[in-house]
Amino acid sequence: MILTGESIAREVAAGRVVIEPFDPWHIEPNSYGFHLGRHLLCGDDPVSDARQPPSTTRIEIPESGLVLLPQHLYLGETLETMGSPHYAATLYANRSTSCMGMWIQVSAPLGHTGAVIPWTLEIVVAHPVRVYPGMLIGKIAFWQPQGAVGGYCGKYSGSQGVVASRISREMRTNVAEAVS
Amino acid sequence: MILTGEEIVAERERGRIVVDPFDPGQVNPNSYNFRLGRQCRVYSKYPLDPRVPNEDDEIELDDDGFLLEPGRLHLCCTMEILGSEYYAPTFAARSSVARLGLFINLSASLGDIGYIGQWTLQLFSIHPLWVYPGMEIGQMMWWRPQGEIVLYEGKYQSSQGPQTTLIHRDFDVVRVPGAGVR
Repeated sequence: MILTGESIAREVAAGRVVIEPFDPWHIEPNSYGFHLGRHLLCGDDPVSDARQPPSTTRIEIPESGLVLLPQHLYLGETLETMGSPHYAATLYANRSTSCMGMWIQVSAPLGHTGAVIPWTLEIVVAHPVRVYPGMLIGKIAFWQPQGAVGGYCGKYSGSQGVVASRISREMRTNVAEAVS
Repeated sequence: MILTGEEIVAERERGRIVVDPFDPGQVNPNSYNFRLGRQCRVYSKYPLDPRVPNEDDEIELDDDGFLLEPGRLHLCCTMEILGSEYYAPTFAARSSVARLGLFINLSASLGDIGYIGQWTLQLFSIHPLWVYPGMEIGQMMWWRPQGEIVLYEGKYQSSQGPQTTLIHRDFDVVRVPGAGVR
């Protein structure tokens, strides 16, 4: 079951859901509205390779905004640290963001139970779009799981902000090893 | 928990889900297929700026088809009025539509309990693609919520036709520390 906004606020007060900073104003009927943090990572590699750590440039979005361009991937971060050891999370763009031609994730909405972090956003734009630090950009929903809950201790645990893909750490070096 | 198709039909009959017009032939095992409306809006000036209203052109989709250019956002809408004051909605492209390389939202599949209206669809095609008003383009799902419900009273309530972004209104209210220094 998806938590209503009222339930999210109640669980934040009880310490069972973390949203920091939290403002009840951003409680929505079945989600919480989160904001874009200040930093972006842009990929530098002409060709990305899942076996290699990506080379990226860190950019600070100025107060005057930054125009994002189509056909680029920008990794952003949520201003808020969010998550719960008790509920699964999913992240979405706002309708306002999507109607402006912006993705905030690319087919990866699910966050693990137990991951309490500023979330890395995969931002893609359909058209040139200006973004500002702190703009309301998306919403997070929480879901009651069924079954025993295990904690998350993956490679993005303890993230302090935007983090590029760490998939290279888990890539096996040859197909034979992968299928064995 | 997600509602089954049978439960969507039953809850609609009880007035707890709105689907108008409704056709039982569009009910799926756990969703309802909605159709593409005729109206369309396309931004006309770039870059888009979320702090101000952005200009757009209105287009009507031709019954004989409308060619979506790849890489261009077209804001269309559902033909149906959809929503519920009891269940949280999510919507997605039908898999037949996704297989044509068409997005119908840009990572924004979650709606709000209490929103009842036509839904703005964010059409974005990977390839040139002909679409037709009235085609079954996407599917709405409903999920049982946990906790007290406070209904949606947001800026898009009761939308008729496709709506361009009203994100500039969010900049009028800056609440979170560190957010949106103007």
